[in-house]
Amino acid sequence: MSFLLKYKQLEEKCEIPNENYTIRDLLDEMELSPQTVVSKQNGELVIEDTVIEDGDEIQLVQIIYGG
Amino acid sequence: MQCSKCGNPKVIYKREQSGQLLCQDCFIESIEKKVIKTIKNEKLLDKGDKVLVALSGGKDSVTTLEILNSFRKMQVIDICAVTVDEGIANYRQEGVDIAKRHAERLGIEHKVVSLKEDYGITLDEIMEKENHRGSCTYCGVFRRTIINKAAREMGATKIATGHNLDDEVQAIMMNYLEGNTGNLTKLGAKTESKAEEFTVKIKPLREIPEREIGLYVVAKDLEVHFDSCPYAMQSFRGEVSEVINQLAEKHPTIKYSTLRGYDKIKNTLKKEMQKEYAHGRCKRCGEPASNELCKACFFLEELGL
Repeated sequence: MSFLLKYKQLEEKCEIPNENYTIRDLLDEMELSPQTVVSKQNGELVIEDTVIEDGDEIQLVQIIYGG
Repeated sequence: MQCSKCGNPKVIYKREQSGQLLCQDCFIESIEKKVIKTIKNEKLLDKGDKVLVALSGGKDSVTTLEILNSFRKMQVIDICAVTVDEGIANYRQEGVDIAKRHAERLGIEHKVVSLKEDYGITLDEIMEKENHRGSCTYCGVFRRTIINKAAREMGATKIATGHNLDDEVQAIMMNYLEGNTGNLTKLGAKTESKAEEFTVKIKPLREIPEREIGLYVVAKDLEVHFDSCPYAMQSFRGEVSEVINQLAEKHPTIKYSTLRGYDKIKNTLKKEMQKEYAHGRCKRCGEPASNELCKACFFLEELGL
């Protein structure tokens, strides 16, 4: 069970650690604030409570930078 | 889970302050409607205006341009744009290129003005000097002067900037915390100066949170420059922003209540605190100035230029 993570230059295959693993959980692990990024699941915008499924492509777009 | 407005199950945004859930189309529509409401309520535009958009190529200015363009399409206003190249290596050029492409796409008059051409120095070069006052001080003053000049040269009747809710709340709190009551009187959706050389400034995005503007440009697939100014972290604004955002996590309406509170006291503040406008002219460049030199020229002389 894995997904493809795209963030800035990073493109990495990641394991889904547990059931009902959400984008919010992923952001927590990456220490990213949901306030500063928007998330896409398989190319479509989604909210952070979305559960990541096997084979998903998850893209995180940073929209707010400090200052 | 479904869109609170149309029932579409593909929700892209939850408004923390209201709990409202929105699909992509309803989200885009809600932003555009809210900006149009601000424009109408605050009387930001008059028919026949030529609006100069201060276009950096970032999300805020591109959104301002995009929404104001709907008034241009209806032939209510004309639009032109100016992009200021401060001379920040590995940062500004991408924004300049994006700004050019938007101006071309919409077919609007656009000019790029650089600090180097106008003042003979880049912001990077200023920052190498030992006696500098911090990047944001110069950037703010020089950029404002350049935009004002461009507005006069291009015959603009209004200057539109991309200030969003977060920017405005930060400015309110910063000026309050610093005891800067003079600057506190100058905020608001529309700022007019008594000096005719200064074009009226409008902030159509003043009630839109920064995050919603970021989501809007991604949802509309607008090309923007998402990057951090390398000097941003040196600013007091950055510190204030961090505190406000921390508070907003537990109190999601705090930015709006700060803005509303300010709007309620703004007129009283203006009456009591607004400084008499300087009627003098800068002896070096001729721009309006309260002293012998305007702020831009004062800084230039201090830098030995």
